[in-house]
Amino acid sequence: MKRASRTLVVSLLFLALASVVAAGPGWAQGKTDLTVALSSFSTEVLDPVLGGHIVKYYLSMMFDYLVGTTPDGQPSTSGGIATKWENSPDYKRWTFHLRKGVKFHNGDDLTSEDVKFSLQRAIGKRSTTGYAGPLRTLIQDIETPAPDRVVIVTKEPTLIIPTYLSRSLSTEGMVLPKKYIEANGDDAFARKPVGSGPFKFVEQVTGAHIKMTAVDNHWRIGTPKYKNLTFRLVPEETTRIALLRRGEVDVADVSRERVKELEKEAFPVYFRKDEAILSMWVVFGPDGWPAPMKDKRVREALNLAVDRNEIAQSIFAGKADPAAIPLGLSWSFKDIGLKVTPEMTYPFDPTRAKKLLADAGQGGGFPLDVYAYQLPGLPEGKAFAEAVAGYWEQIGIKTKVIPVDYPAFRKNWVDRKTPGAIGYFNIANRDWIGTYALLEKQAYGPSKANDTVNDAEVDGMISQVMRQTDREKINTLMRNIYTRIRSEHYGVPVVYLHSAYATSKTLGKWNPGTVMYDLFFDQLASSK
Amino acid sequence: MIRFVLARVLQSLVTLAILSVVVFILARATGDPLHLILPMSATPEDYAEARRYLGLDRPYVEQYFSFVGKAVRGDFGTSLRARKPVIELIRERLPNSLKLAVFAMGVSLAMAFPLGVMAAVKKGTGIDRAAQVIAVLGQSLPTFWLAIILVEFVSGRLQWLPAAGNDAGLVSYILPGFTLGWFVVAGMMRLLRSSMLEVLDSDYVKLARVKGVAERRVVWLHALKNALIPVITFAGIYFAILVTTAIVVETVFAWPGLGRLAYEGISSRDFPVIQAVVLTTAALVAAVSLCVDCLYAVIDPRIRHAR
Repeated sequence: MKRASRTLVVSLLFLALASVVAAGPGWAQGKTDLTVALSSFSTEVLDPVLGGHIVKYYLSMMFDYLVGTTPDGQPSTSGGIATKWENSPDYKRWTFHLRKGVKFHNGDDLTSEDVKFSLQRAIGKRSTTGYAGPLRTLIQDIETPAPDRVVIVTKEPTLIIPTYLSRSLSTEGMVLPKKYIEANGDDAFARKPVGSGPFKFVEQVTGAHIKMTAVDNHWRIGTPKYKNLTFRLVPEETTRIALLRRGEVDVADVSRERVKELEKEAFPVYFRKDEAILSMWVVFGPDGWPAPMKDKRVREALNLAVDRNEIAQSIFAGKADPAAIPLGLSWSFKDIGLKVTPEMTYPFDPTRAKKLLADAGQGGGFPLDVYAYQLPGLPEGKAFAEAVAGYWEQIGIKTKVIPVDYPAFRKNWVDRKTPGAIGYFNIANRDWIGTYALLEKQAYGPSKANDTVNDAEVDGMISQVMRQTDREKINTLMRNIYTRIRSEHYGVPVVYLHSAYATSKTLGKWNPGTVMYDLFFDQLASSK
Repeated sequence: MIRFVLARVLQSLVTLAILSVVVFILARATGDPLHLILPMSATPEDYAEARRYLGLDRPYVEQYFSFVGKAVRGDFGTSLRARKPVIELIRERLPNSLKLAVFAMGVSLAMAFPLGVMAAVKKGTGIDRAAQVIAVLGQSLPTFWLAIILVEFVSGRLQWLPAAGNDAGLVSYILPGFTLGWFVVAGMMRLLRSSMLEVLDSDYVKLARVKGVAERRVVWLHALKNALIPVITFAGIYFAILVTTAIVVETVFAWPGLGRLAYEGISSRDFPVIQAVVLTTAALVAAVSLCVDCLYAVIDPRIRHAR
């Protein structure tokens, strides 16, 4: 029996002993490493044309864009391959002058042929990037008059080309190595990508990490401060925070509700203010607005019934601000000169909401399905949907919260199978061009599938924006579109979400910027 | 014996064939992967093009036979999400899951054996009651909760052990392995305890004692050997389960295993991945069951003669 007892004790101490042996900073990252823990890598693809927007988080460090962007989203001649660009008087020819002496990680020179090849690939049939469609429609030809000059010819006059090929939008502007891809094929490139950015690819273990190592010197950031850059996929927040506490990661995305706790422990927390607008919309029927949402008074009632301040405080831990305009991407407001006046904000007024419903003949309420789902960056999704449904219950609407996952909702939405139901999305904030692209898909009748606004007046204005080359006129059109969408209550804008990123205590200052799906790690790695 | 093995192999193949049909249908019933792959701004033309490019526009029957034809050659197609051959993903992930399951099973055995034997030998004492408490805790503590608590305190606060990943060597196995193995400890210990109690009460054990064989030898040699048969079956089945159902543990500990791959596949409607993971895990379960059955047949000849 003594032996049995001994075995028991030894067994139970097994883990404790291992713990003692393992204790200490053995896995802590050295100062040469910058490690970022993210909750999602999206598709995890390494080929820019196969990703959506979210792959930008890591691909932006491996590739250069044709047009650079400042951290606050403005086009920059110092951050991209193009050092300057100009348009022809008719706005149908855009000439980009390329930076000289840029090399890909395999030693090949970066030339206009690479830019042409990359753009053709980005708008090719295989591409699933965010804006391949509009560019495919718009681009007529790509000329390469010199190794350091590329000319993009469009079918229609347009202002959007530089922005669409910049870091501020999706991945279409990333410059890829023509010779390498042609010699090795698309699959080899997707497995072992070669770019020209400050960090080159080392290894990917899907579901775990992407490792990169710095080039000796890069025109974007000088001599990189870190030798290695690793992106770790850590879905569980508690684990990301534990890694931060242990010093195993330097940056981690954290939920709004854990911010106070981390700040108490003196971890710097950086916010991307207004990173997304949380906006709700009505699923259309085959012929557009379903009853009773067709009635403007019903739409206004839905808006007045929601206490946005309370939602911001209770659901989003105060890390959100009330939103006033459906699809209102606020980072574009300064570009187009739109000011949100106090009159535009929705007060919390259930009494008036009830009256509006009664005036619309819906005093007894009506059944309303509210889909509830979580989204990347929105772990509060279901609680949010339940809260809003609760407000609508208060004014007599008979809501039914339907828990689904987002793809299930999206299918119902684009197939128009559940007319009158309500869904939502945390739409990433963006500049005016990105905003235009969103409006073209979600507020422009002819787009159909993703439409959430059905208004001939809005359609007319949106169709003018693309053809317009006078920036002032574009701004006026954009302001008018938003004014119309707001006055007609085309959707329920709820809050602007601020996203939190905690960093290690020794990391230093960082500006995560205001560019969609890009955290600008350049600044952290820069010695400039 | 060969006939017995062949019959079991045939059974397993039939099961896998039926499962391939079921998983093929169910995977497609979950929704359209293009809603996740394509951006919100995608047009109907973009959808049609992507569907054609990914081969999702072909009739289901054609897709099924194409899938089965390739699968038997080890080609499970290309992941719709990661755009990599699925077999590569399986090769990356399966060894991680197997290693974690081996470690977890080791933890379970190391805890369950002495506890189970001592609980039986010292029936009704404090040790027995303590073992019962451990058994209850093992089966009632939700794995997710246990994992979070360990990450929060053992790793995050006390900073004793790594919280995530598998690249820190053996120490990175301790927390996920313990979490995964903890649930098995309870079942295995209770099974061993009851099995030991039965064996300790048998005539041949009583005879050994009467003949003056040392108690330690009676318990650990004569009794334990015969009490092991149900435990071997249990451990075999649970090993396969540990490999295939570690989704929660792999997610919390950011462990790049098969469970996470399954979760990623399901949440992104990645049909080729879902199909490959289900068939791989089913094949694994079938193989382990076959091994256990064969082992059982070897240990107890009545089983093979009964077939």
